[in-house]
Amino acid sequence: MIDYSVLLYDPVYAEIGVSAMLTTTAGVFEITVIDDTRAKAQTSNTVEVRSVGPGAFARIPELTSKGVGRADYISSVLSFNGRMWVVRSYELRGSPNGEDVGEVRFLLRSDDA
Amino acid sequence: MLDVRENILARLVAIVATMPSIKNVYRNNVDLTEDQLPAAAVLDGDEETGDHTDASMRPSNRPTLATMTPEIIIFKIAPQVGPDISTLRRELIKLVVYDTQLNQQIVKTGRFGNGAIRYLGCQTDLGWERSMFGALKANFLFKYALKPDDLL
Repeated sequence: MIDYSVLLYDPVYAEIGVSAMLTTTAGVFEITVIDDTRAKAQTSNTVEVRSVGPGAFARIPELTSKGVGRADYISSVLSFNGRMWVVRSYELRGSPNGEDVGEVRFLLRSDDA
Repeated sequence: MLDVRENILARLVAIVATMPSIKNVYRNNVDLTEDQLPAAAVLDGDEETGDHTDASMRPSNRPTLATMTPEIIIFKIAPQVGPDISTLRRELIKLVVYDTQLNQQIVKTGRFGNGAIRYLGCQTDLGWERSMFGALKANFLFKYALKPDDLL
C-alpha cells in the first residue's frame, strides 16, 4: 500500500511548510504548517467587504506524535509567519490511508482586529 | 432646485459621519476592505408615490406625497462584534430621528409640515473574516412632498 505521508505530505511540508508554535493547555509544541490564508469577502445587501480568512494546514500524525489531540485544537494559539492566531475551528482532511494520517485545516481568527 | 430626496440622502451621510465610532462613511460604495472599517454605507433607497391609485383629473404636475426607504449599513470586524454593533445601532437611530435639519427643514415633520421619518427595523449579517464580521442594515422611511415645480 502506498504511504501517502511519506510519499506526499512529508515532501510537500518540507518544501512549502513553515515552522509554527502551537500553544495548547497541554504545552507548547513546535510543528510545521502550510499557510492557507485566503481572500474572503462578506456581502451584506449589495455591499461586499473584503478581508482574509486565515487558515493553516498541519499533519495529524505530527500532532498526534507530540501528544496534541483533537480536543486540544480549539482555542489553542498558533504562531507562524510573524503572526499569532487563535484556532476557532478546524476541518479534518482525510487521506487515502485514513483520517488519522491525513491533515487538519485550522480555521483561525485574530484577537487584534 | 429643491430635490427633497437628494437632500435627505446627503443629510444622512452627514449625520452618520458624526458617529464617533465610525471611521468612514460612504454613499453607494459597494466595495469595501477591512482597513476601511468600522464603516457605514448609505444606500439610495426606493421611492414610491401612491399615485398608481389616483385616476382623478388632478394635473400631472401637481404636488404629491412620496416615500423613500433608504438603507444604512454599518460594518465592523472585531472579536466581540455583537455589543459594538448594538451600540452603533442605538447611536444611528437616535441621530436620524432626532436630527433637527431633517425634521424641520428637509422632511418637515410635525408642526413643520406633513412629512414623516420612521425607523422600520434592521437586519444583521455575521461571518468570519480575519476576526468576527458584523453588519447591521437599518431601514428608514421618509415621507415628503414631491413638487415637480421644484425639480426644475
